[in-house]
Amino acid sequence: MENRKISGFNTLHPAVLFTYFVSVVIVAMFCTNPVMLFLALIGGVSFFGVMKGAKLFFQDLCFYILMAVFIAIINPLFSHNGVTPLFFMNGNPVTLEAILYGVDIALMLVGVIYWCKCYSEVMTTDKFLFLFGKAVPKLSLVLSAALRFIPLFRRKLKEIRSVQSSLGLYEKKGMINRVTAELKVFSSLITWSLENSVDTGASMKARGYGLKGRTHFSVFTFRKRDLGYLICIIVLVGIVILGMSMGISDFKFYPEISEFNFGLKQIAVYISFGILSFIPFLSELWEVIMWKYSASKI
Amino acid sequence: MKKDIIAIFAVIIAVVIIIIGTDFQTVDQYYTDHIEDIKQDSKTVTMTIECKTILKNKEKLDKSLEKYVPDNGFILKDTKFVLNNDDTAFDILDRVTRYKKIQMEYYGADLNRYGTVYIEGINYLYEYSCGELSGWVYSVNGQYPQCGCSQYKLKDGDHIVWSYTCDLGRDVGCTVGGGNNGK
Repeated sequence: MENRKISGFNTLHPAVLFTYFVSVVIVAMFCTNPVMLFLALIGGVSFFGVMKGAKLFFQDLCFYILMAVFIAIINPLFSHNGVTPLFFMNGNPVTLEAILYGVDIALMLVGVIYWCKCYSEVMTTDKFLFLFGKAVPKLSLVLSAALRFIPLFRRKLKEIRSVQSSLGLYEKKGMINRVTAELKVFSSLITWSLENSVDTGASMKARGYGLKGRTHFSVFTFRKRDLGYLICIIVLVGIVILGMSMGISDFKFYPEISEFNFGLKQIAVYISFGILSFIPFLSELWEVIMWKYSASKI
Repeated sequence: MKKDIIAIFAVIIAVVIIIIGTDFQTVDQYYTDHIEDIKQDSKTVTMTIECKTILKNKEKLDKSLEKYVPDNGFILKDTKFVLNNDDTAFDILDRVTRYKKIQMEYYGADLNRYGTVYIEGINYLYEYSCGELSGWVYSVNGQYPQCGCSQYKLKDGDHIVWSYTCDLGRDVGCTVGGGNNGK
């Protein structure tokens, strides 16, 4: 297993964590306001950075920047609305608005992806099963198994690849050869995973998962600290969702980009969402500071 | 390594073909200043672009689009233009919007199963901008043709009206198409 730090935000009660992630991701998915999307992105990225360390963080970041640029280029090719045409392609305009909207979507996508990555780091399978194992045993098992498959695939892929190359296969140089080799490795991975999932199912059944009267053991208790976080999260999300439904944070790209509005109401929504998206980062940071402070006293 | 070079070469050729096949124009080139003058013997058509139905359905309209709806509902009122041979309804619309600097967006004929151009929006008023049954329809001499605008050949003296509908054509008197014989 990877070394998972026991730290501030991770140790909260699963219900609080779940509420938090769901609310942040949903708000980020349903708003187009660049300020809020930017806050969500920065919050998610900084939390991920604190959790995983600088090296892993920069490795991924390059890929996501490329992806964002790609989306920003693709959008104006298909969407021609907007009052500021830059030039015309085959009789259809490429507009400034469409490009900026592409950038906005890219911000949202990368932000949501980062939050989902943080989610899978923090909400481990045991927490998810603790929350939903009793209420919807089948669905929660399927979900947690599906979410688990991606890291599992990665590990297995590495394993198969190293076995194949140690056997001396797929050693020819060149891009095309590499791709065909990867495809073969991938096909064997798929075969293995199908078999594995059947095995897992049988094994879970043999252990009586989801049967009546089966008890769970878990070490999660709902403390005062959890209550504090939960109230904080609900209040902040409430403000943000109220603001969104009243149209305070509305931002239009077509046909004309709306102006940034920094009235009191807007600032209230932005600040609440900003605090919301920085909660995990700040609590991690607080933990680090407290640790340093207590260590200095010894 | 040989295969690699071939693959890279193929990608480069594909990119070049795409770029050559694309027609790039600056804004000034697109919006032509000049259009053929009407002479005594030239064939002409009259064109109108109107969105009067929006005035009755203002509450459904997106707030940010309000300023693109003219007060009298006419984006272009009864204007005569020269008709060239083999001009379709779409050709005229394309020429006129370029000349009058009216924004217009369409799907190409190759992108849908009807094999005809579809007008998505004129003057920033798009399909679905004013309720989910809204969009652009056209009529020639008061009749709504049963075919797309890039298939309809115009005759001398035709009167083309592009109207914005908020109710699948029923509110502008169009009975063909999705309204009545749709499944």
